[in-house]
Amino acid sequence: MAPANVIVALATAPGRAGVAVLRLSGQGLAQFARQLTGITPEPRHAHLVGFRDLMGAVLDRGLLLWFPAPASYTGEDVLELHTHGGDVLPRRVMQACLALGARPAQPGEFTRRAFEHGKLDLAQAEAVADLIDATSEAAARGALRSLSGDFSKQINGLQETLITVRVQLEGAIDFPEEELPVAALARAQAWLTPVLGTLQRLLAEGLRGQALRMGRQVVLFGAPNVGKSSLLNRLAGEALAIVSDEAGTTRDAIRSHLELAGLRVELVDTAGVREGAQAVEKLGIARAHEAASQADLVLWLQAFDQVDGLAIPVLPVGVPVLEVWNKGDLATPTQSAQVLKRANTCVVSAQTGAGIADLEQRILAALGWSAGVEPGFLARTRHLDALRLTLRHVEQALQAPAEELVAEELRLAQRALDLVLGDFVADDLLGEIFSRFCIGK
Amino acid sequence: MLYPESYDVVVIGGGHAGTEAALASARMGVRTLLVTQNLEALGQMSCNPSIGGIGKGHLVKEVDALGGAMALAADQAGIQFRTLNSRKGAAVRATRAQADRVRYRTAIRLRLEAQENLALLQDSVDDLIVQAGGVSGVRTQQGLEVNARCVVLTSGTFLGGVIHVGLQQSQGGRVGDAPSNALAKRLRALGLPVGRLKTGTPPRLDGRSIDYSRLQAQPGDMPVPVFSFLGNAGMHPRQVPCWITHTTLQTHEIIRGGLDRSPMYTGVIEGVGPRYCPSIEDKIHRFADRDSHQIFLEPEGLDTHEVYPNGISTSLPLDVQWALVRSIPGLEKARILRPGYAIEYDYFDPRALHPWLETQSLQNLFFAGQINGTTGYEEAAAQGLLAGANAALRARGDAPWWPRRDEAYLGVLVDDLTSRGVTEPYRMFTSRAEFRLQLREDNADARLTPIGRQLGLVDDLRWARFEAKQVAVADERARLSAWMLRPGSAAALTLEPLLGKALERDVSVLDLLRRPELSHAAVLSCLQPEAPSLPQDVAEQVEVEVKYAGYIARQSEELERDRRFEDALIPADFDYTQVSGLSREVESKLQKIRPATLGQASRISGITPAAVALLIVHLRRRHSSKAGACAA
Repeated sequence: MAPANVIVALATAPGRAGVAVLRLSGQGLAQFARQLTGITPEPRHAHLVGFRDLMGAVLDRGLLLWFPAPASYTGEDVLELHTHGGDVLPRRVMQACLALGARPAQPGEFTRRAFEHGKLDLAQAEAVADLIDATSEAAARGALRSLSGDFSKQINGLQETLITVRVQLEGAIDFPEEELPVAALARAQAWLTPVLGTLQRLLAEGLRGQALRMGRQVVLFGAPNVGKSSLLNRLAGEALAIVSDEAGTTRDAIRSHLELAGLRVELVDTAGVREGAQAVEKLGIARAHEAASQADLVLWLQAFDQVDGLAIPVLPVGVPVLEVWNKGDLATPTQSAQVLKRANTCVVSAQTGAGIADLEQRILAALGWSAGVEPGFLARTRHLDALRLTLRHVEQALQAPAEELVAEELRLAQRALDLVLGDFVADDLLGEIFSRFCIGK
Repeated sequence: MLYPESYDVVVIGGGHAGTEAALASARMGVRTLLVTQNLEALGQMSCNPSIGGIGKGHLVKEVDALGGAMALAADQAGIQFRTLNSRKGAAVRATRAQADRVRYRTAIRLRLEAQENLALLQDSVDDLIVQAGGVSGVRTQQGLEVNARCVVLTSGTFLGGVIHVGLQQSQGGRVGDAPSNALAKRLRALGLPVGRLKTGTPPRLDGRSIDYSRLQAQPGDMPVPVFSFLGNAGMHPRQVPCWITHTTLQTHEIIRGGLDRSPMYTGVIEGVGPRYCPSIEDKIHRFADRDSHQIFLEPEGLDTHEVYPNGISTSLPLDVQWALVRSIPGLEKARILRPGYAIEYDYFDPRALHPWLETQSLQNLFFAGQINGTTGYEEAAAQGLLAGANAALRARGDAPWWPRRDEAYLGVLVDDLTSRGVTEPYRMFTSRAEFRLQLREDNADARLTPIGRQLGLVDDLRWARFEAKQVAVADERARLSAWMLRPGSAAALTLEPLLGKALERDVSVLDLLRRPELSHAAVLSCLQPEAPSLPQDVAEQVEVEVKYAGYIARQSEELERDRRFEDALIPADFDYTQVSGLSREVESKLQKIRPATLGQASRISGITPAAVALLIVHLRRRHSSKAGACAA
């Protein structure tokens, strides 16, 4: 059976811990498990597996348990994935699950499914009902209260603008013979452009907030012997706290966790990239490329003593790149000055520590993080998903060729925003139309 | 006396709901009797002389797709046809006809008289015969008793009707017709939940006293639109224009001066009027900043000079009505033929109905039309058809049928009524339909004719036409999808002026039609100028489907997600008091409304997701315990 309607959530509390448990529920999870781990699970057996991404790279090793339907918590197929703890690995495995078609669970959704499949007794069901009540209303209000008041104000503002635009459009559609004040389509587009800007900004803020909690990944990339490892050690050594220093999950990548100005950063050292490498080395280079393409930021490391005869490596598309010149202590002032003329470039010396403080600031800036700037709101993934969905529908609304299609996109945009705020039904829209316009022949 | 024949279905009322109900029931082959106070008034348009409009035209096409009478009657009586929103997309385009009242009535009367299994009776129903919790017949004013398996009540504004002109009141169901007070009293005594609503009409004018030279003409559309899937423009009588004028500041002064004698503003009227069809005094009061409001002068027919000034519905006293009419450009010398008035009437809270329009408290009694709190001929006709069909299904011993929200505006209508109730006269709008893009006029037949055929509502002629159209649409779609255009080919070059640039890659003609700016007609007349053109409805269907395909696929996904939940039936005898954990408020609401499905339950205001979840658990338990009992 093909996986269908699969939800995933972290079942353990987030944060530093030895083990984290991800739980999935849905249909066809045996196949899902096969795609994620390469093995076919036996029911209710603990398997030691590697969790892999779509490319087949192993993200983490841990335990896999499969509870086939109906003998499971939810009454559907359930998978439990026990990964190493902390923020980064569970997040990676979660992302791999999302890539395989799962979606993040709504609050209380596992229990609700259990509920729907008759897995709870009545007393439990009633307790859960209260919980769902609390969460579905809170999904909106309660959760919002935990966020900054500013955020909810902005969301409310967006909601109001969307309603205004929808009222204009729906008014123009349902009452074409009334003398409504405006050409609705043109007006709608004029209103929506700033909405798009606000959504983009809120998303960026939300991502920044998420970065605070989840951390960001920075990959060191470059030719052999330019000093990647020494830079890694220097940065890690300078860091306020080394969270962990573990052997990489790939043979050639070393990962270190550090905190820069409150932001958690995972630093990944990769194999030196060069042409004419042998088979084993090639594998490492391929992984370096892959790591770079998945990073939040790539530090492209070069060294002043290696300038001759090196081809420019293929840099990943769509990932910000900071060009870092190491061994600044070996460079002449002219050489340094020449390098620094280019954008997104800095000069350091891993050996002496010169330029490292500057590099840290540059890394933070490149990750959209600068000290003194408000960390945005502590968005949950669900909020960000809702904002992203809203953004997508508003973008499509701006491109839609006809009123009723713009209206359809905005209906969906508003529904997406409703996931954050609360409920709104069609009749309210008519009420708005009637109170704003004189309708009726 | 006992009426010599007994019937499967008795329909009370001969308006738009009653006639469609009686026709539907008779089409389904059960013996049907229609009782009305006045046979001359069968199919009477009591308010404005027009059929259709945005949302309403959609309902008319759905009634037609189910074999109803309204669209064909409009084709036979329409004297000005327009497609509203013609510059917007197909989903929100809607047909509207100004209808000649006499011709419309005649068309309906002929249809009723030609219908097999249908008898007519002029009398007033005073009482229902009730036996063992169900209705089994009616008693009339003249003392007849008619036994029936089911009764469909479509009494419009006649229940407890009170007419207001200024501060004068009289009792009536419509000016000139008596109200049905005995029945109203009887229904109140049965304990059905009742409320008061209000609606109004403008004064009617003598067209010979109007100065048309000062007015802007509004002709119908060319080519002339057609309402019925079986209709054609050849059925239409002679076409005439409507006229447009405006109120003036002077009009507004006159109205303000009369408000102290307005039944609305002195508190005499307690019923709630519709916000989208306000009286002129309401418009001026609520939108004081507007110094003018549009008025459409609509001809009432080809054989009369009577004119309906749409936009000045009023219950102001007669002297104010004369003065306000004569303050309007073109109407300076206009004579009022009949005064405008407001009417208050009883309606029954539709949340006490099943979605198939049977009352929950009295078996075999169905309600349709204004009595359910709706307004409009089209809303009435659609409900009438559904109630008549379900009365016939009941009489045959079959399960009820009603469409879902994604299948028809009729589905939106009954779901809104029975889940949410009304706070003002309910009128259809496209913005009420979340699946608007798929609920179009052009595909009403594809959506409903097959089920109509299955129920017995659709005759052989309509079915044959429908099948032929579907085959033609499928053939054309297949032909265009297989027809590939290659860049640089002769065909591609002929199309270049239309496309604005050269074709860049292989594309089928069907895919080309996805582009918003390309119509089937434009592309095909370019590619095959010699070929005979397809019937317009077929070409339109192919084109519209392609253009909306992406959106509709996405909506279907949305739908699929909710389907399991949406369609889960709640047994009629489900006892909500047994569901511990429901709040008192939710429990009493559910107990009162008795939703038919979980989907309907979830749309009732105040019903939380938790309450729905609890219902799911209890329904499941009930189900499994029953299954268990059987096994044991």
